[in-house]
Amino acid sequence: MREELAPHVHDITRALGNKVSEQEIERELSSYLNVYRVSLDTAKRSIVKKHGGNPATLAVGVSKALADLVPGDQSVNLLVRVVAVYEKEVTPQGQETKKILSGILGDPTATVGFTAWEPLPMVLAKGDVVRVQNAYTKEYRGQVQVNFGNRTSVAKEASTALPEYKGAAGQPYMGKPTPVRVVDLREGASNISVTARILSVERREVEVDGAPKAVFSGVLADETGKTQFSAWKDFDLKAEEVLRIEGAYVKSWRGIPQISFDERATITRLKADLLPPAQQLNISPRMWIEDLAERGGGADVTVRGILIDLREGSGLVYRCPECRRVLRKGACRLHGEVKGEPDLRVKAVLDDGSGALTAVFDRELTEALLDKSLEACIAAAKEAMSTDVVRDELADILVAQPIEARGNVTSDDYGLMMIVESAKLLKVDVQTEAREMLEGLEGSA
Amino acid sequence: MIREVAWRLFASEYNDANLETEGGGERPPSYVVTPLGAKVNRVFVVGVITDVENVGTDGQPMWRARVSDPTGTFHVYAGQYQPEAAAILSKLRPPVFGAVVGKSRIYSPQAGTTYTSIRPEAIKAVDETVRDFWILEACRSLQRRLDAMTEAQKMDPLTKEGLRKIGVKEAIADGIVQAVNHYGKVDLSRYTAMLAEGLRYLLPEYRESAGPGEPAPEVKAPAKEEPSSEPDETETKVLEIIAALDKDGKGAPWEGILETATSKAISKDSLEESINALLDKGLIYEPILGRMKKI
Repeated sequence: MREELAPHVHDITRALGNKVSEQEIERELSSYLNVYRVSLDTAKRSIVKKHGGNPATLAVGVSKALADLVPGDQSVNLLVRVVAVYEKEVTPQGQETKKILSGILGDPTATVGFTAWEPLPMVLAKGDVVRVQNAYTKEYRGQVQVNFGNRTSVAKEASTALPEYKGAAGQPYMGKPTPVRVVDLREGASNISVTARILSVERREVEVDGAPKAVFSGVLADETGKTQFSAWKDFDLKAEEVLRIEGAYVKSWRGIPQISFDERATITRLKADLLPPAQQLNISPRMWIEDLAERGGGADVTVRGILIDLREGSGLVYRCPECRRVLRKGACRLHGEVKGEPDLRVKAVLDDGSGALTAVFDRELTEALLDKSLEACIAAAKEAMSTDVVRDELADILVAQPIEARGNVTSDDYGLMMIVESAKLLKVDVQTEAREMLEGLEGSA
Repeated sequence: MIREVAWRLFASEYNDANLETEGGGERPPSYVVTPLGAKVNRVFVVGVITDVENVGTDGQPMWRARVSDPTGTFHVYAGQYQPEAAAILSKLRPPVFGAVVGKSRIYSPQAGTTYTSIRPEAIKAVDETVRDFWILEACRSLQRRLDAMTEAQKMDPLTKEGLRKIGVKEAIADGIVQAVNHYGKVDLSRYTAMLAEGLRYLLPEYRESAGPGEPAPEVKAPAKEEPSSEPDETETKVLEIIAALDKDGKGAPWEGILETATSKAISKDSLEESINALLDKGLIYEPILGRMKKI
């Protein structure tokens, strides 16, 4: 016990500028841990604070296995293997868009998602074993997530420092698969069983770990909804057929959960009339935004709500000819001052009373909503000597209006976003609906 | 950091609230929790903006707007930190249908007294169809909470998990548990009546047959007696009198209405009843004390 704590006693003493003796720190630390039974991390921070030091200067975190992580740890040390890593773009509220790293870390006890908010001094690749110091944990959608911040240090270790990770690919599932309806698919679910009709399927070539691989992807559906899928083995899937897929898992791809299956899955072909015809299944299901938030997005869904606010950058915008980013004050964040290309778009908050998402309408949809071409908008802006006129006109037409929008909904740390495919202003027969509700109410009274 | 949903709820439920709670995280959002368990950080309201007044000073204006719905009145305050909303409010000419998105606020000047209000983020003048759709949405939202609260009142012990099991959504389940802990067992019949009131407001058949006996939302029983058609004429007459006497646009003075009504054989009692009914229905409002104006 004493030996284990020695580096931490030393760490605390150093953080306090050697003002307090190691003996005293050791006594205090032991009291926090054994009498008050708080976590080592909390104990260290409390002692430093108590003596007027800054807990952020603590350098020795507490080593933990991934299975022991709980949300809210301010400082943890990990020895892990990178199971998956990818780059993604986020736009924190009121800040510029930036690139961050995200992925999955594994050790022999568990796998946990991670996000690196600051650039790392090295390139991380799948399979790398890394020693992470001073990471912190948070809860994200009910699960622990590891975060690398600006105090976190990451160093590569020999690949032999940890046993090879055997996870999603290859390892057979234990036990019977759980039957799940398409509407109930949730990111992270594994060993599930789905009975569905294939609506479409196509073969694509992708690169996995530098080697070409065929993947069969498309859309499948049951009575409750539809989803994209990826089959990592050739099951000779054909459009229209009805199957039971046992041993599938759910993974997010570009922010939308989709069903995936590989050689571990069993495919049983079923009678074609077990499910309604493709035509009937291929509709865009109407969903509540709170359900989309819980699912982590959805493909081809329909939402009804009210456009309660237009976001910054709606209306007539100018894009960088190089990277298509919207210019601010005539300059691109990456390419400086460029001659912008005009475009129309709407970024609006769509709220259905259960939740809110950002709905993005492209030029074509915006022109239809305005009943005005891009050229006419440019002319109007010239005459008014400001692009605000276009935005104001859009606000006039759209804000506070009930609308039905259909498209793909993606999800990230900042919420949901719908890339709108089609939209229409809603005309609701308020009286008929009110009459029905009132009859129901009086019937039950 | 996920954007807070904009609740649709009636003024009467919102104004019944006297519980404020905080969420978690680094910058915890605050919520006003209503007796039915709506946990409101942001609201979306569409109603009749009946008056706008600068209750601040000329140098530091604070605009107060009253927004009425079929059940009551929301109070909206916009000052220097809501420049856009304040600018719009200062230019509005009530009465006008208005849509307001804003943050919930609760103010307690002394123990036992609380006032709820809205700090607007955006305000827009809209038309009647937008208002009618809002009433329908507010009714649906109220119905969901009523159903969930009815189940909650049967549960012992009441837990969030128990509510989740019977299909109540996380957001509502959380609010309901907090509401029951704070308000105890609330009388749901008042809210059922409020729901019926909201729905009837949308239906022309009730507008025509509603009489001066039309009960205010406080009345407990949801079932209502069919009022006779005769008093309806009185209401129409009173409405005409108010319109005729409103010569300067500031509303018809009470003395004038009473005098004219008496000359048309309308008793003072039935005049008062008619005016109350017209106020409830949102057909007239009181721009300043003692004056009535047609909407």
